[in-house]
Amino acid sequence: MIAAPTTVLNTAGLDATLPKSLVAKTNHTATDTPLSIDIQNVTVSFKTNEGVYTAVKNISLQVKKGEIISLIGHSGCGKSTLMNTISGMVSPSEGTVLANQKKVTGPGPDRGIVFQNYSLLPWLTVYQNIFVAVDSVMKNKSKADKIALTENGLKMVNLWPHKDKLPGQLSGGMKQRVAIARAFSINPSILLLDEPFGALDALTKSAMHIELLKLWNLDHREKTIILVTHDIEEAIFLSDRVVVLNNGPAATIKEIVDVPLARPRNKKDIVHDPEYMRIHDKLLGLLMHKLSIND
Amino acid sequence: MKKVISLQTLFAILYFALGMGLLLAAWAWVSHITKNEVPSPSLTWKVFQEVMQSPFQNDADVKGIGTKLLSSLGRVGIGFGLGSLLAVPLGLLLGSNIRLMNIFNPIIQILKPVSPLAWFPLGLAIFKDSPKASIFMIFICCIWPTLINTAMGAASVPPDHKNVSKAFAFSPLKYITKILLPYTLPHIITGLRLSIGVAWMVIVAGEMLSGGMGLGYFVWEEGFNGGSIEKILVAILIIGSVGLLLDKAFIALEKKLSYAQ
Repeated sequence: MIAAPTTVLNTAGLDATLPKSLVAKTNHTATDTPLSIDIQNVTVSFKTNEGVYTAVKNISLQVKKGEIISLIGHSGCGKSTLMNTISGMVSPSEGTVLANQKKVTGPGPDRGIVFQNYSLLPWLTVYQNIFVAVDSVMKNKSKADKIALTENGLKMVNLWPHKDKLPGQLSGGMKQRVAIARAFSINPSILLLDEPFGALDALTKSAMHIELLKLWNLDHREKTIILVTHDIEEAIFLSDRVVVLNNGPAATIKEIVDVPLARPRNKKDIVHDPEYMRIHDKLLGLLMHKLSIND
Repeated sequence: MKKVISLQTLFAILYFALGMGLLLAAWAWVSHITKNEVPSPSLTWKVFQEVMQSPFQNDADVKGIGTKLLSSLGRVGIGFGLGSLLAVPLGLLLGSNIRLMNIFNPIIQILKPVSPLAWFPLGLAIFKDSPKASIFMIFICCIWPTLINTAMGAASVPPDHKNVSKAFAFSPLKYITKILLPYTLPHIITGLRLSIGVAWMVIVAGEMLSGGMGLGYFVWEEGFNGGSIEKILVAILIIGSVGLLLDKAFIALEKKLSYAQ
């Protein structure tokens, strides 16, 4: 009802300039705030032995500061590739990506990345893993500042008692918390999470959702978060908007679904919310074609 | 806990003893069927005791077996040291850069199979000095395992680790010290272990050609020319034991460093 017009406008690529009363639930920043991320007609192609492989084609997406956006779609649809154009690990073949109004040419201190495989260095302790990243990115800060940032990051994810352990001595959930602390510690304005909880069991994953939102909240909801995921429930629980991609190759945006659910969200209560159920059904319909053995 | 450990060591000693027993039995049998052309273990033991008297004697014309051993080890040390100083950085460079690797690979493939006995005369011609030629020969023969293993390690750094370096904008120095070197260290140590084995083998061959000092020369001069096959066998035992100890030292180093990982 209220959500539908916003969804339609967003899909058409237009700004959702609805009256404030209608926008209040979705938009917690002013409508004229500069964009955090601006993906302008981006296409990404790779040269392979069999020719040119186009991962994503003509993608445009605008993300405001402080928004949490999920990219969802089937395996191989190009979600990670698209996120890599924001992080700067991949250059678009066509189009431009602006992060904080500056063109993305490579990884930078304004964008923190959490990888799917944690990617912690196995020979460094938890503390050193975070410190080495802070040391590398925060070039102009004093050593004392860097130490403070590292300590802060560790305490934020409740891993201070484990700071001298090696990654091999940690559980999957703890390793991912280190990876998140590492990304947060460089104090980026944009956080890019590539299936960050994919390798975790369902219970730990659930706990991590809460932890992530806590961290985001502690920072006054100022960080923009882009999340790549397969998990519909995860996408709805965390996001303000869910971007559904078509299947690859040459994937495009299928639809952008608004999630106008009030924050803070509660894991137990949310599933009984009719709005949640509506969004869940919608996303399920967009992503799955066989819903029972009779289909 | 303590009981289990001593049981393990007990078995290790047992297997070692069985192996040595088998070797001795084979030796005694060969000695018997060659009608003592190959001396028996007991004869060899007598000569061994003789040879081991005043092992570190270092006079002008009489040198103990220990002195000879140390002189061989010294040349190995220098050749191996110089070789490793070249092989490790070069290996890291080649492993990290596929174009350089493609250029250098044919050179490596051509030089690697050459026998030390061919390098030695070349060394003599260049340095006109026997010990220096020996060191050159060890150098050029023992760089290959270290070089190849190090390059293989550097070429196999997992993309996950490289992504960390990219994502957090590591400087080249940081990448080398925090990612490349720690990852490649086990490969480097393996290469060094193989190289020291090669170096130790090569020195004996070289000393036979060169004359002068060392265990290899002892084998040729006092053993063969002197008509004492027992001395040859004694030398073989000493060479084998030292080689074993060197290998075990590197294995211990490997274990120590991998535990840290």
